Amino acid sequence: MARFDTLNAAWMVWDNPAPAPEGAVLEYTKELEKFLAEIERRAFRMAQVALRDADDALDVVQDAMLKLTRSYASRPSSEWRPLFYRILENGIRDLQRRRTVRKRVMTWLPGPKEDPDNEAQDPLDNVADAAPAIPERLMQAQAMQKLEESLRALPARQREAFMLRNFEGMDVAETASAMACSEGSVKTHYSRAVHALRAQLGEVW
Amino acid sequence: MSEQENNELEMRSRALFHDSVDGLDMRIRSRLTQARSAALDAASSNRRRWAFSWKMWTPAFGVTAAAILGFALWTGSPPDTQSNFEDLDLVASTDEGSGDAMEMLQDDIDFYDFADKAANSGPAA
Repeated sequence: MARFDTLNAAWMVWDNPAPAPEGAVLEYTKELEKFLAEIERRAFRMAQVALRDADDALDVVQDAMLKLTRSYASRPSSEWRPLFYRILENGIRDLQRRRTVRKRVMTWLPGPKEDPDNEAQDPLDNVADAAPAIPERLMQAQAMQKLEESLRALPARQREAFMLRNFEGMDVAETASAMACSEGSVKTHYSRAVHALRAQLGEVW
Repeated sequence: MSEQENNELEMRSRALFHDSVDGLDMRIRSRLTQARSAALDAASSNRRRWAFSWKMWTPAFGVTAAAILGFALWTGSPPDTQSNFEDLDLVASTDEGSGDAMEMLQDDIDFYDFADKAANSGPAA
């Protein structure tokens, strides 16, 4: 199984890009576009679940796309998906770390105190939708919101394992490549995630 | 907690997630398309830049190498050619002087003949 142990935990840079022949480049550019088009929306939603912010999620997804196309496009296409999600997860963690640092710095600076209850609320969330709410759709939206909250409450590795396995449909080996861990660890993280979600969502679902 | 309950949770959460993906608004979809295009453009411009530099420098290297080789041949060849001709002259002169050598050898034979007769005739009176 192909592993990506040589990749850094932080942003990865290809040290020795080997240029491919022109014909091969055109071929894998088309293939790459197809791959990105197929994966981008799910990747965005996963990033949004983790980051709770659409713009941040878009930035992280765009960075992951750039990294993949610049540095790993010449790799076999079967490696793209785990590579992409590994880059994406690194980007999510990087952003979360920066947020934590920013928050710590902001607490030392004088200024208006943020209300922790309203911290994550978007003003647009309170605007009434012009279209009449369909009960079924509304229930689905509420269920998804609850699921997102539960996923955010999970440890990062468990959340990652659950989303890659369940939402993205990766097998254990691919997930292990994307998470840079053993297949046994993936199974453990996934099992714990399912149990934790079940415990949190059991009453509602 | 049964296996069936876990499977239900997995299926329901997956369905909800995919519904939310399908329900993404046009603004997000448009920005994702832009991001994809930007990524592909960046990748192809990287390759173009590399190809451009390669195509540009290859003839330059070729011309430079040819110029250096030409200069070396131009400046290096005359002395070598001259020395070759000198060698040829020596060889030729040896061939031409082979008659002189025979004459010298003939002179030596006369001398040896005289010396031999002088020795055999006994001591001079």
